[in-house]
Amino acid sequence: MTMSSMSFAAAIIIFCTGFFTLLTGRNLFRMVIGISLMEGALLLFIITVGYVPGGVPPLLPLKGLPVNPLPHAFTLTTIVIGASHIALALAFVVRIHSSYKTLDVEKIRGLRE
Amino acid sequence: MTPVLVILIPLTGAFLLPLLQFLSRKIIVLVVCLAGGLSFLGNIWGACSGWLRPTVHLAGGWPAHIGIALIHDPLSSPFLLLAALGFGSVLICSFDRTEKFSWRFHVLLFLSWAAVNGILSTGDLFNLYVFYEIFSVSAYLLVAFSTMEWQAIEAGFKYLVFGTVGAMFFLFGTTYLFLFTGYLNMARISEALMSEPGLPVFIPAACFFIALSIKTGAFPSHFWLPDAHSSAKSLVSALLSGVLVMVSIYVFIRLFSVVFIVLKPLVFPLMLGTGSLSLLTGHLMALRQDDIKRLLAYSTVAHLGYILIGLGCASAAGFNAAIYHAFNHMAAKMGLFLTAGILASHAGTRKISELSGLGWDLPFVSILFVLFTAVLVGVPPLNGFMSKWYITLACVERNQAIPALLIILGTVISSGYYLRIIRRLFSGKGTQGTSKDRGATWYVVTLMGVLCILLSLLPLFPVFTDTLHILGNWIMDISMYKDLVMIP
Repeated sequence: MTMSSMSFAAAIIIFCTGFFTLLTGRNLFRMVIGISLMEGALLLFIITVGYVPGGVPPLLPLKGLPVNPLPHAFTLTTIVIGASHIALALAFVVRIHSSYKTLDVEKIRGLRE
Repeated sequence: MTPVLVILIPLTGAFLLPLLQFLSRKIIVLVVCLAGGLSFLGNIWGACSGWLRPTVHLAGGWPAHIGIALIHDPLSSPFLLLAALGFGSVLICSFDRTEKFSWRFHVLLFLSWAAVNGILSTGDLFNLYVFYEIFSVSAYLLVAFSTMEWQAIEAGFKYLVFGTVGAMFFLFGTTYLFLFTGYLNMARISEALMSEPGLPVFIPAACFFIALSIKTGAFPSHFWLPDAHSSAKSLVSALLSGVLVMVSIYVFIRLFSVVFIVLKPLVFPLMLGTGSLSLLTGHLMALRQDDIKRLLAYSTVAHLGYILIGLGCASAAGFNAAIYHAFNHMAAKMGLFLTAGILASHAGTRKISELSGLGWDLPFVSILFVLFTAVLVGVPPLNGFMSKWYITLACVERNQAIPALLIILGTVISSGYYLRIIRRLFSGKGTQGTSKDRGATWYVVTLMGVLCILLSLLPLFPVFTDTLHILGNWIMDISMYKDLVMIP
């Protein structure tokens, strides 16, 4: 098993863990954690896409086979977007807690159907 | 330079407002008006120039396969026009006397406007993802903005969870395509997928389909849509139903008619099925609602179904009919949400059973409400009828009898629930007393009524057929799009 296929497998396992946490979580915080796990898995996936075994940093002058710099740029952008999702989700969780006094999904039933 | 300016003007507005908030209110209002007016003109200009002479702007001068290409073509121009009309009218509504003026709301509005223009202009998948997320985050906040009530916050959270899962799938699909083709430019990826049949195309296509059906609110994942659209403020609901949903439809058309053209025989029947099921669910759920805004939100799910059926026909006629229906739905549904907002705030409740006699109190608004429902039901001379008729014809052309029958069934069901509201409005006597207060929302609602009439008159002119001909050709024949992007 090569390094990158292990990394891909890890990314997929973490993604599924996150998705499972999101679907089964009864606590709102668990849902936010699920989202953030999924985001982490995607970051790992993107980094692995750009991975070149034994690659050098893509800086001129090149000293060997460079890694693809584009996935790194995606990763940075995705981290920023993910942070904004998590921040917004946590802000909503705080507001929901202050009006319902609970974080249990089963008990928060303002919106039906 | 146009494609850049179209994104840049609303974005500048969004970034200037928080900096200028310490100044007097007059200056803020001036900045909002100026940015709004310029963005409106920018969108119209972009739409016209994209229609007459498709333009490509390569950001930073890098060629399209490395850099980011911003494109205005005949497909993006109708949607730019739609965005201009929708955002423009919501901006006017936000100056209504009953609305509390808040610069924060305008920041979100301009941010989502810029992101929508970005989605409509970009030719790059990752860039599309970034703009999609700016747009989604501002939409979550717009939903939760209302009066910061618990309902809106909960709907916003639900929307955020669904939207984020959709975004994950979108990003996964993008990265997967990048892994195997090495490109992010849509035209390049399409070319690579066509020339090398061995590349795995099913997984990314499935990812994008899941992502977009979550983000649009189509059948299996429509749960967030009624909550989000009904809990928000009336003008935000109008924006969400009229414009923001249609942006996802645009991405549907762009991705599946350009990038995944190899999967055409597989994806489009799936879209037809999704559309039919959304239509049926939306109408049947709307029938059971007693909350007027929730009913309208379910009706939006149903109308998404109509549009997806139009796209699913995968013919020029189907695409044209779907885009024409998107316009009709925008005019009528925005009008309906705004009039329902006026009626509900006058009655002090959103329950349909308690709206008795309002038709006599607010005759003008109620008559417009009836006009908009007539458009959505599809009463013959009106535009809603014309676009439904075109979609049905496109279905019949492709030998798809079931969706065509469902469209007709949907019309019957929708007339059922709209007539219930109308009967309620004009039954009994008015009790609340007439209202002379005519705010900005009244003018916008009137404008939407006029727009509906104009859209109904449109099919009478031969120009309309020519326009549809150009649009249909452009969507069906993607070689023109590819040539445009790849030559420079």
